[in-house]
Amino acid sequence: MSVQFYLFLLINGLSLGMLLFIIASGLTLVFGVLRVINFAHGSLYMIGAFLAYSLSLLMTGGSLFSFFVMLLVVPPLIAVIGFVLEYTLFRRIYRAEHLLQLLLTYALVLILDDLVRLVWGGDPRNVTRPEFLAGSVSFFGMALPTYNVFILCIGPAIALGLWLMLYRTRAGNLMRATVSYPDTLGALGVNVSWVMTSTFMLGCWLAGLGGVLMSSFANIDLAIGMEKIIECFAVVVIGGLGSVGGALLGSLIIGVGITWLPVLLASVGVQEASRWALVFPYAMMAVVLIVRPWGLFGKPER
Amino acid sequence: MRRTVLKGLAILFVAFLFGGGALPANSNAADTIKIGFVADVSGIGATFYKSQKAAIDLFVQQTNAAGGVLGKKLEVVVRDAQLKPDIGANMARELILAEKCDFLIGPTSSAVALAVTKVSKEFKKVVYFHTSNTEALTSTDYQPFMFQVVPNTVIEGRGIAQFLSKKPFTKYVYIGPDYAYGHTQHNSFKERMAQLKPDAKILETIWVKVGETNYSPYIPTLMAKDPEMLFTSLWGGGSATFIKQAKPYGFFNKTGITSLYDLDMLRVAGMDMPEGQLGYARAAFYAIDTPQMKEFNQKYFDKFKEWPADWAIMAYDGLIALTDAIKKVNSVDSEKVVTAIGGLKFKSLRGDRFIRAEDHMMNAGIYVGTTTKDPKYKDFLIMKDVVEVPAEQVWFSLDELKKLQAGQK
Repeated sequence: MSVQFYLFLLINGLSLGMLLFIIASGLTLVFGVLRVINFAHGSLYMIGAFLAYSLSLLMTGGSLFSFFVMLLVVPPLIAVIGFVLEYTLFRRIYRAEHLLQLLLTYALVLILDDLVRLVWGGDPRNVTRPEFLAGSVSFFGMALPTYNVFILCIGPAIALGLWLMLYRTRAGNLMRATVSYPDTLGALGVNVSWVMTSTFMLGCWLAGLGGVLMSSFANIDLAIGMEKIIECFAVVVIGGLGSVGGALLGSLIIGVGITWLPVLLASVGVQEASRWALVFPYAMMAVVLIVRPWGLFGKPER
Repeated sequence: MRRTVLKGLAILFVAFLFGGGALPANSNAADTIKIGFVADVSGIGATFYKSQKAAIDLFVQQTNAAGGVLGKKLEVVVRDAQLKPDIGANMARELILAEKCDFLIGPTSSAVALAVTKVSKEFKKVVYFHTSNTEALTSTDYQPFMFQVVPNTVIEGRGIAQFLSKKPFTKYVYIGPDYAYGHTQHNSFKERMAQLKPDAKILETIWVKVGETNYSPYIPTLMAKDPEMLFTSLWGGGSATFIKQAKPYGFFNKTGITSLYDLDMLRVAGMDMPEGQLGYARAAFYAIDTPQMKEFNQKYFDKFKEWPADWAIMAYDGLIALTDAIKKVNSVDSEKVVTAIGGLKFKSLRGDRFIRAEDHMMNAGIYVGTTTKDPKYKDFLIMKDVVEVPAEQVWFSLDELKKLQAGQK
């Protein structure tokens, strides 16, 4: 295999990683500030994808306009759902033990997944890619789908945006301060619970964005939420719970790993090498848990 | 306030617990034939269930309007197996013991089917399988109280090999889901192809996880082998997603794709589906040219405002066979009905068929053809030049069956 082919796979893998990052960053952000692993994050992402599907029916399929409307409308809608969930449920369990949090978010998964089935039915759905992004660009004579390139651009933009927000704005400072000194912050007159609600909504916004991007990327069905939350969980464990930078690195490791591993193994004569790619994220997670239990970018528990 | 909320939640919870159970009081058992449907209602089972249930309802409605079977009305009770074998087995037991069902209809998932067939054997109640198509049901896990009306995985794999062996391709690649269905189909395809066309080779085999939504890591790897044809055991949303993602890589400029093009798959792929691709259906409503199929299509469309998917046709055929067997022995006693199953000849939607005595497999072949646009169907492609690969040419020979059934667990 030529160097160009590996480069092509690298770009391919990076774009796969970026899509994962957009969703996983929401999960890790919420954990970082709220200390809750929100398993319903995958369900919110799925609702985002199905909302995008519904919106696409109202507009001309495959137009750039309808795609941008989806991108603008759906993530805030998911953030609003997030607001309702946070206000009514999540804020009651921040100080509860992890088992209770797990029970609540898992119950939410079941309820939301069934709601999706009630509203949209069980059929897989297809959202047409906007024509502008449906083609491909030439890369060393190989065709690289424009949509993958698009995701490859959105991912870093989100990463940069999150970084700027967390480290260069007052809102970000408050979020980070909430992690370490919630009581002090409250004493200083900051409405800590509002900071938490906002963070949760931002996390949901990212889930919604991932859902919209996914709806045009693959066909969507009732299983995509569960599929993605497991992958995201692996990403977040690898990167370090609560670390956005870690989620970025974790996503890219998984994306590129899955893409490269089968080809590398096959080139040294391993049969059915693709099966190894299936275990890669989880093997990676296990290795990280053994060597560095707090993740690549995480901090050990005090 | 809080109390009312709690009360509401408690009611919701109780409703949730018993939600699966149908509430209507038991009607007089003597006047009805109760059939328990162990269905995969949840998750990705939902699409299949919708069509299966629709066809079953249609059958029950028509039969009851015509006076029922042996003067008794049919009644169907549904339980959700949730694609989980242990739950499926429990639901089957509940349908037999609590609901007093005389017969069972199988689920979508093969794993659940293998659990349900054990319950059917234990209680000696006839069950039929219409969508779950593992060949184990008729071979290694065979028991006489079941029959299968869907082309099984071996018939599919060998049938598609037989079809493709007549085409000029020699360079194949394969991608499929990493579980029993994919592996059996792949092996059947590979073995039969090696017999029929020794110079044809599978240059790359890729296994992906069940429910994979992203094939982009694997598409360039497949293309690097410069194949003429891709055979895939991906199905439904999976193969539709593969096509959607492979298209912009230029995959279809040089390579064709062969897969299960059931109606649900064609519907979800929509106009993303490329024309001129060779594939197969388990039961294609638009291609089966029998009067009963045409009548069924029309009634189904009138009632549900959509065309019947493969699973609908097969679930309906199973009920035809079951009720014919009941009429033949003039009894609803499963132990008597089972004596009529082996060798039963019946008029299915797919034409005149029989159930082989040795393994209770219906001679259900696959329908092969080429994808094409049709002005009659605006939202999806269908296949043209459809012919059936007769099951008799590709199903287990009696020798093979003997060996497999003897090695039974």
